Amino acid sequence: MPAAIITLESLAIGYDGQAVLSDISLAVARGSFTAILGANGTGKSTLLKTLLGLQPPVSGQTKISSPAIFGYVPQTVQFDPLYPLTGFDVALMGAFGRVGPMRFPSRSEKDFVRECLHATAAAEFSHRKFSQLSGGQKQRVLIARALATKPDILVLDEPTAGVDVAATHALLEFISQIHRERRLTVLLVTHDLPLVKRHAQQIIWLRDATVLHGPAAEIFTKERMSEIFEMEVS
Amino acid sequence: MEALKQILSPDFLLRNSVYTSVLVGFACPLVGVFLVLRRLVFMGVALPQISSTGVAVALSLPVWLGMNVVNAENNAHALAFAGSTLFTLAAILILAFLERRGRGLAEGRLGTAYVVATALSILLLSKNRVAEAGWLDLLKGEIITISNFDLALTAVALAFVLLVLGLFSKELLLVSFDRAMAATLGKSVLLWDALLYLLIGLTISVAVLSIGPLIAFGFLLVPPLTAHLFARNMRQFVVLSSLIGGVNSFLGFWLAYQWDWPIGPADVVLLGVIYALAFMMKKIFGR
Repeated sequence: MPAAIITLESLAIGYDGQAVLSDISLAVARGSFTAILGANGTGKSTLLKTLLGLQPPVSGQTKISSPAIFGYVPQTVQFDPLYPLTGFDVALMGAFGRVGPMRFPSRSEKDFVRECLHATAAAEFSHRKFSQLSGGQKQRVLIARALATKPDILVLDEPTAGVDVAATHALLEFISQIHRERRLTVLLVTHDLPLVKRHAQQIIWLRDATVLHGPAAEIFTKERMSEIFEMEVS
Repeated sequence: MEALKQILSPDFLLRNSVYTSVLVGFACPLVGVFLVLRRLVFMGVALPQISSTGVAVALSLPVWLGMNVVNAENNAHALAFAGSTLFTLAAILILAFLERRGRGLAEGRLGTAYVVATALSILLLSKNRVAEAGWLDLLKGEIITISNFDLALTAVALAFVLLVLGLFSKELLLVSFDRAMAATLGKSVLLWDALLYLLIGLTISVAVLSIGPLIAFGFLLVPPLTAHLFARNMRQFVVLSSLIGGVNSFLGFWLAYQWDWPIGPADVVLLGVIYALAFMMKKIFGR
């Protein structure tokens, strides 16, 4: 069993001191592909924000194995189309963590970002305005940006939201591929159960203020699914 | 053309006004770009007004204290600059803090700040005749009596803004575009926001002292909106905004001098005309 890269100890998450989920204790193994599942409002995004350090926990601890860099892929809808940024400009932001204040990305950093855009098959439209790209194209640019951070953990917040079925399959295949090739730890928030069954090794399922955690093979059994959905699953 | 020759002459009597006007015209859109992108246009209206309230308080202060500072021109200007900067920075930090908390109606707060600041300025200066005359010139955008000291102060302040904006452009862009990403990269969003607000506040303070609140708002808003119609990336957006502001302020000055108009309003009307023409061009010819 690989060492844990993220450990949650008696964690309670929420807003303004009010816990949405509490007593979360689990570990995410280095190099694993973990899906975070749950209906709307169950606390998926809150858990993600807490893991990323964007929001303080109500109580408990989040331990991240040091040094670990997060490559964060947010939902595309959050970006204001007013910004006249090209796909390349957006992807280049991934290099900003390594380039200190008063310095600008070097040619080698820019070349690396171009490599990331090639790797995500986003190079051909990276010169176009980010706001004018399709949902799937934006996701590829954002994944390139996350890869440009040279991450240890790739965190994707509903990357297939607003993306058509064909592009969704291609995107998840691609994420699985880079997970295998680069031995990246992947944390994926999604609603898409069939895709999770196909790609994820570990599941964190948020439901009724409780957290179900375990290997996909153990979670996706008839018995556990019947228990989760409170109905007979064939 | 005779008017243009006169304006370009090194012996031109109002040369400091031309230089100041052009400097502000180039600089205001540089921070205005961030106000537009962050959808803080209302802040661009309220802050110049609050800044001019700071001027009103600063000019009233010596009268309240029985001092004769206002008659010494440089002292009065330095005092007005201090009042303007202090009020603008205090207001921008309070408004930014309230916005960050995300409660209440942001537009309501800015509208209230605008109207209270305007009323307070009028109240203060109605009891201060010496300051009132200068303040009315400021409100109308009469950029005529610019001393060497005023010009130097404006140039140094705006050069500082330009330098800092240039050096930290990537951080300021990142925290504006994607705060979560900035935080995951270990950038202090609070620190960079504070720096951006400092630059916006400083630019507005200097601009209000030179050209008045209405004209300052015009230069903050209209050049970025015009440039946004054509810009394909951030660099084009910033450079084009600044160029439109700078060139417009010179042309505005020329027109005002030629036809004996007040300079500030001439600048803003010209900005509006250029924006309207650019908008129509965009509609007709597309990209």
